[in-house]
Amino acid sequence: MPQTISIRIDGELVSALQGQTILEAAKQAGKYIPTLCYFEGLSAVGACRLCIVEVAGTDKLLPACTTPVQDGMSVTTTSPKLTQYRRIALELLFVERNHVCAVCVSNGHCELQNLATSLGITNMRHWYNYPNLPVDLSHKRFVLDHNRCILCTRCVRVCAEVEGAHVWEITERGISSRLTSGLNQPWGQVTDCTNCGKCVQVCPTGALAEKGWAVEEMVKQNDNISGLAHRKGGQ
Amino acid sequence: MQTTLQENPDASERAFINQVIASQSDRPGALLGILEAVQEHHPRKYLPMETLRYIAARTGIPPSIVYSVATFYALFNLQPQGENTICVCRGTACHTRGSRNLLETLRLELGFGREDESDEATDSDKLVLTTEDQRFTVRTVACFGQCALAPVVEINHKICSHVNEHTLQRQVRELERESK
Ligand code: SF4
Ligand code: SF4
Ligand code: FES
Ligand code: FES
Repeated sequence: MPQTISIRIDGELVSALQGQTILEAAKQAGKYIPTLCYFEGLSAVGACRLCIVEVAGTDKLLPACTTPVQDGMSVTTTSPKLTQYRRIALELLFVERNHVCAVCVSNGHCELQNLATSLGITNMRHWYNYPNLPVDLSHKRFVLDHNRCILCTRCVRVCAEVEGAHVWEITERGISSRLTSGLNQPWGQVTDCTNCGKCVQVCPTGALAEKGWAVEEMVKQNDNISGLAHRKGGQ
Repeated sequence: MQTTLQENPDASERAFINQVIASQSDRPGALLGILEAVQEHHPRKYLPMETLRYIAARTGIPPSIVYSVATFYALFNLQPQGENTICVCRGTACHTRGSRNLLETLRLELGFGREDESDEATDSDKLVLTTEDQRFTVRTVACFGQCALAPVVEINHKICSHVNEHTLQRQVRELERESK
């Protein structure tokens, strides 16, 4: 049984378990920290930096999803500084690809869009990158639209860690990074894919979607996936 | 990049790959060593798609990981390499000392034509061009870590410092003569 420790979150004393992350402890205490690449039950990768928090004693902003709690730690989850940096992180995600919400299947149900709204982002302070990106329509039931992918790797992790198929990976690096399936094959040709649809359901944006839905119609059903992941981890 | 498939690794190539895999056994990070050894063994110093597929099947590593690793590291080539490799540093120090012109010189000297703004390769840090006669491959790197010697060009694994357009042209012509 892990040891129980005490930490402060926004001034409030809460108990946490040794080995938990700040995010897990906060959730348990009913505190909200925005997240994007994190998905409960999957490994945490700390890729999006939305969950940054301030920790007393260090000037660095730390990602709550990968930072373990320590006894006596004092965490701040909301501040003007945090909002400012979370906005920057989101804006950079928006300008990197072509996010045209008005014509997106996930319009209104998109985690990226919801976060932007809640952080008060109304316009971008940087130039859009307008990369020329393809859409993969080769799978019989699903679509991958690279224009809307934020490279959060949730799909990569759910497919590898829960479904066990490991269809997805990130290829290249830096600004050239792309999601890729199999040996860089069209998704429909990757025989390892079991067509389970888990990647589609965990994708926070309209990048992965089911075929047959029009604008605003793709609502992701992923409530059961965390439970599945926990059971798998507990085996 | 397309997955135009080369011939399957032939029997001797397969034997070599099997042996490399066996020698790396289950060490963590074994994939890197395997890819490096297999590329080095290939006469054209590259990893054909079918070879990647074979390595994935043999090791049980998902093909997506094999492809991801092979494209993450600048060290690996997925296209056949020319007899001579010229690598121009496009890092900051070399850029401020004129490496763009050096690259331009090479492009013209070897007949690739001028850098095209719409060329997709221009916005990527990794440029690889091989002449049709397969004698030269020109590539770029983000920094050799030899900034004091800028601009730096590596010709067939030899670092050349303070390169200018004339010396570069001369060296390319020399190589052209030698490999005739
Ligand atoms: S449908 Fe299932 S098996 Fe196929 S890529 Fe998505 S998560 Fe993996
Ligand atoms: S497709 Fe979706 S889940 Fe996968 S990396 Fe892109 S945004 Fe994330
Ligand atoms: S949720 Fe923590 S870095 Fe993305
Ligand atoms: S920038 Fe060219 S060697 Fe560092």
